[in-house]
Amino acid sequence: MTNTGKKLILEIKELGVAKQSGDPGEIVIAVSPSFGVQQRQTIVGLPHAVVVRELAAGVEEEGFKPRFVKYYNSSDLCSFANEAAKLSGSGISIGIQSKGTIIIHQRDLQQLDNLEIFPQAPLYDAEIYRQIGKNAARYGKGITPEPVPTLNDQMALAKYQIKAALLHIKETELVVPKKPPVDLELQIKEVAE
Amino acid sequence: MKRSKRFEILEKRPINLDGFSEEWAEVGLIAMESQYDPEPSIAIENGIVVEMDGKRREDFDSIDLFIADYGINLEHAETAMKIDTLQIARMLVDVNVPREEILRITTAITPAKITKVMSHLNVVEIMMAQMKMRSRRRPSNQAHITNLEDNPILMAADAAEAALRGFSEIETTTAVSRYAPFNALALLVGGLCGKRRILSQCSLEEAMELKMGMKGLTSYAETVSVYGTEAVMTDGDDTPWSKGFLASIYASRGIKMRFTSGTGAEVLMGNTEKKSMLYLEARCLFLTKACGVQGTQNGSVSCIGIPGAVPGGFRVIAAENLMASMLNLEVASGNDQTFTHSDMRRMSKVFMQLLPGTDFICSGFSAVPNFDDMFAGSNTDCDDYDDWYVLQRDMRVDGGIHPIREEDAVRVRNKAAKALQAVFQYFDLPEISEDEVEAATYAYSSYDMPKRNMVEDMKAAERFLAGSTGFDVARALWEKGFHDVSENVLDMLKQRITGDYLHTAAIFDEEFNLESALNDPNLYEGPGTGYRISEERWNKIIQKENILGPKDF
Repeated sequence: MTNTGKKLILEIKELGVAKQSGDPGEIVIAVSPSFGVQQRQTIVGLPHAVVVRELAAGVEEEGFKPRFVKYYNSSDLCSFANEAAKLSGSGISIGIQSKGTIIIHQRDLQQLDNLEIFPQAPLYDAEIYRQIGKNAARYGKGITPEPVPTLNDQMALAKYQIKAALLHIKETELVVPKKPPVDLELQIKEVAE
Repeated sequence: MKRSKRFEILEKRPINLDGFSEEWAEVGLIAMESQYDPEPSIAIENGIVVEMDGKRREDFDSIDLFIADYGINLEHAETAMKIDTLQIARMLVDVNVPREEILRITTAITPAKITKVMSHLNVVEIMMAQMKMRSRRRPSNQAHITNLEDNPILMAADAAEAALRGFSEIETTTAVSRYAPFNALALLVGGLCGKRRILSQCSLEEAMELKMGMKGLTSYAETVSVYGTEAVMTDGDDTPWSKGFLASIYASRGIKMRFTSGTGAEVLMGNTEKKSMLYLEARCLFLTKACGVQGTQNGSVSCIGIPGAVPGGFRVIAAENLMASMLNLEVASGNDQTFTHSDMRRMSKVFMQLLPGTDFICSGFSAVPNFDDMFAGSNTDCDDYDDWYVLQRDMRVDGGIHPIREEDAVRVRNKAAKALQAVFQYFDLPEISEDEVEAATYAYSSYDMPKRNMVEDMKAAERFLAGSTGFDVARALWEKGFHDVSENVLDMLKQRITGDYLHTAAIFDEEFNLESALNDPNLYEGPGTGYRISEERWNKIIQKENILGPKDF
């Protein structure tokens, strides 16, 4: 984090059921059931406040509006990210789970397909999340960007798979079947540590 | 506390970087023998299962229902269910009880019953049983071929080298899914550049994977996943019926396929219904059988970090491979994912399938450096070839591959790169330069390859898939002068019409003869029977460049 001695706090307010806005200038950033609330950091301790700040900044740098939406009905990344892409006015979404696994999805794709997927959460830092935000917006413009460079650490699984499973179990316990997605208002506050 | 120097050193050993966990039965984090697993039972009325494993038919979920209706041989079920699980376990390790006799029982019992059978076996007994229950006589091996950049030229060269080393199947996936048609094309052309016929596949989202198979760009499919709880199954937008339907589509087009499942998947997906990993895997395997699929890729596969973290992890994984063989399924037995920092631990894991032999010991062995393995790294990679060869030599076991000479590797890699270059030219795809051919011929990894314009490649890949089939690839190779490769591609397409390679555990030998559980079954019944390494094969396994002999003295 850049602000030594300061801590970032993510405040989340739920607005209401998310409906299609028809705005082609938006990228829906879909978050999973425990994101930023029961779980507040990724599997390697990157605060969700930083993750959302970077994603939003990436989207905005390309001239698009980030729209944060929370999904309660599933913790399955492909599933809620594809739903979010169908909601998104640009047809593009970013989906993220609490542990940091993230995907760029498009409404016309099969649920289990994707534009870009980043399955190794322990490897992702703030910079990668910003690049993902930028690329999502570029897809929103209808262009085909160079994909965010693929990171691969064959040892990540050995170290983190069991932790990933337990975090995901905790997240999945909060799934509320059939509950509709809600729009979120996010605020990042800096407090002294 | 004043630290012990010995403990401090131990703490820094690679094994202590691995993730471990206590058992936690309430979330299904338990290998086998959970207090929440059901007791075996079956009740049949008028040819219909009305009770299975303690549940009445009206309480069945969709997986129970599918297994009860299609997955159990009801003709023998009532007698088979009466046999004590300990007796079945003993029959498994008794060389005097033939495989066929055991199959009559094990295909007529329930998931809870087969899980109980496993609880009587220790790891050596599981290995003994695996040696007998494997479906095909000769064990074989499968390779992963991928790279970080989805570089198709490198992929073709790596495919050719893998075929030369003796792998029977090669599997790729993508770093970026839109590259998929080129990855499949690279394996098809590269894999068939040598003398042997090799099966290839591209692991993707299921509709795309199917499409490439139907177009003749791949010759088998493996990543058709099934899960042991309904919640996880429906998360993947699936039901047993949709999986069965998908399986029948592959069959109707003459494409070999197997399902994939494995212990730990349901834990990782967060829905275990409190059942043990092995019981849920038993459900997956009965479901696979019920769908009429010839085989499975199991053995925890990419979820190995989960059973690997709890007590009895290796034992449960070996047990699930054995359960697949007990249902007469082809088994591609995992060993395809990094799960440990310890070399001792990773080879000990492999031995449990390498020593008895499975249909595919690894599914697969990374034929590229692990950092290029887009399946998130395999348990063994191309740096381990010589270790693997020496272990085969040390123990006189056949792990499905054999040493090759450097000049032969260079030759086939070059041919594969050139063949793909020609195919790209024929279809007017982004040019493959002489520099790229040269780099792929001698490369270790994707870092040795010139960068390609990925955006142009991805657009061209989409165009190629829309307009071309495997038959067009055969034609392109023929017109560009690669007649032998063209004939190989065409031969693989002809296989779909004859359908022989749809039989259980089918692979091709070096002369393009088919080996399967039907025409070359495993008939192990103790010493002197079953698969024995021939002298010819042995000489291939033991040849190495740096071995001393009388000639040196």
